[in-house]
Amino acid sequence: MSTTVEAMDKAMSVMSSVELASAQHSRETVGDFTADDPRMTCRNVDVWYGSKQAIKNVNLDIGKNEVVSMIGPSGCGKSTFLRSLNRMNDTIVGCRVTGSIKLDGEEIYDKGLDPVPLRARVGMVFQKPNPFPKSIYENVAYGPRIHGLTNNKAELDELVESSLMKAGLWKEVKDRLDQPGTGLSGGQQQRLCIARTIAVSPEVILMDEPCSALDPIATAIVEELIDELRQNYSIAIVTHSMQQAARVSQRTAYFHLGDLIEVGETNHIFTNPQHKLTEDYITGRFG
Amino acid sequence: MPDASFSKSPIDIASGHTVRRYDEELAKLRGIILEMGERVVEQTQSAVVALVERIEYQAYRVLDREPLIDYLSLDADEEIFRVIARRQPAAIDLRIVLALSKIAGEVERAGDKAARIARQALESLTLFNANPDLSSDELKEQLQQLNDKACCMFERSIRAVATFDVKLALGIFEDEPNLYSASNEVRQVLGESNHENLTPRQVVCLLTTAHALERIGNHASTIAEQVIYVALGQDVRYRNREILIDTLRHYGY
Repeated sequence: MSTTVEAMDKAMSVMSSVELASAQHSRETVGDFTADDPRMTCRNVDVWYGSKQAIKNVNLDIGKNEVVSMIGPSGCGKSTFLRSLNRMNDTIVGCRVTGSIKLDGEEIYDKGLDPVPLRARVGMVFQKPNPFPKSIYENVAYGPRIHGLTNNKAELDELVESSLMKAGLWKEVKDRLDQPGTGLSGGQQQRLCIARTIAVSPEVILMDEPCSALDPIATAIVEELIDELRQNYSIAIVTHSMQQAARVSQRTAYFHLGDLIEVGETNHIFTNPQHKLTEDYITGRFG
Repeated sequence: MPDASFSKSPIDIASGHTVRRYDEELAKLRGIILEMGERVVEQTQSAVVALVERIEYQAYRVLDREPLIDYLSLDADEEIFRVIARRQPAAIDLRIVLALSKIAGEVERAGDKAARIARQALESLTLFNANPDLSSDELKEQLQQLNDKACCMFERSIRAVATFDVKLALGIFEDEPNLYSASNEVRQVLGESNHENLTPRQVVCLLTTAHALERIGNHASTIAEQVIYVALGQDVRYRNREILIDTLRHYGY
């Protein structure tokens, strides 16, 4: 794990001393960071990798039944922030999160809170599809089984089927559930990972560039799925594709050097952003 | 209380995209619109001279050149399709492309008005040949003043497009009353007793010209609205003009 910190330090060291000095001061976020009906509320969130501050005083709500996209240049902290929403950063030595992150009013960084059930409530889908080296069935059944969500095989079968259906994969795999998940196409594997996440009945789904390894057709299928999942879940998605952010999300947050620069309705952000940095980034004038 | 949404800093379109070809494509598109605008001003002035000075060949030349503006309009449309397909513009770029698309339509229609004036010039040559003195110096002067107002507004609107200049756009809104006043004066002169010997057809010919010039001024105002939309991200169509002018002035434009 120390190599991760070293890598982070190395990455941060490319910032000039001037940039680093200014990075210590957070910028005020433009736009309304609150949601009408918040599922998660983040207030004054700072994330540090050792002595380097990766996230600076970020405030953001993730509302029920909404997709919030997080955009920004590489190294701006959007993935770091996403990972702090289900304590994935706990696994990185030297990573420190301060401020308040609440899920349904409950502080997720409370010392008494077990991160394992938290990660079932706040599920995550990664950039690269990462099915377990097990059958399609076992990939989906694994989570509910270890969390004790079903009482018998029949219930588990039903849960696997409904999860695969919600992920839009059931029709394609129902006749080969015993085959390895790794044998599916990239797009199918990503939907299998989404089914695996859904199977443990999360409240929030975090997606870290879920389509960056997929072709345009598989991307379109996953985007359609995200829109359907919004009916039942809150979704936060990090993406480098601004068109994707514009297509799938209701609100967009723009990060820059660890600051949340601007947040607002996606329609507004992509037609008339208020902050120059946001405008420069989404129009390709950045840097 | 002035509308705070106008407080946004004006954009700097000179700052380039990371992909320089994108800048070139937008510059090319803007260049087509600017060329169309210049031609419209030239065409309008030539048409009015043809009418007032009774120069037949000049009227024909305006009509001959009118399709050039239409072809440029087609080029602009093609370029707009290409930019959208290739670049999927967002934010200011999206506003620029959408606005230029509308502006191209406005400029093309202004070009049609110049051609309409040229047709009136040809018709007047026939109508007034029987009595060359019907078109009085006063009427000529009023028509020329209206022409100057309309062309000046239109020329400034095109200059505003070149840099999406809010101040120039505001100036066009401020000039609207002068345009309407110049147009009314032409109508007034046409209604005076010393013109009672004009036939109804001749009056219609001159009124059509005055109306066309007023419409060119209106096109300039519509273009100015698009300039505001690009620069400030505010759609100001259908807004009360006086309040809009006050708001823009309040924010230092």
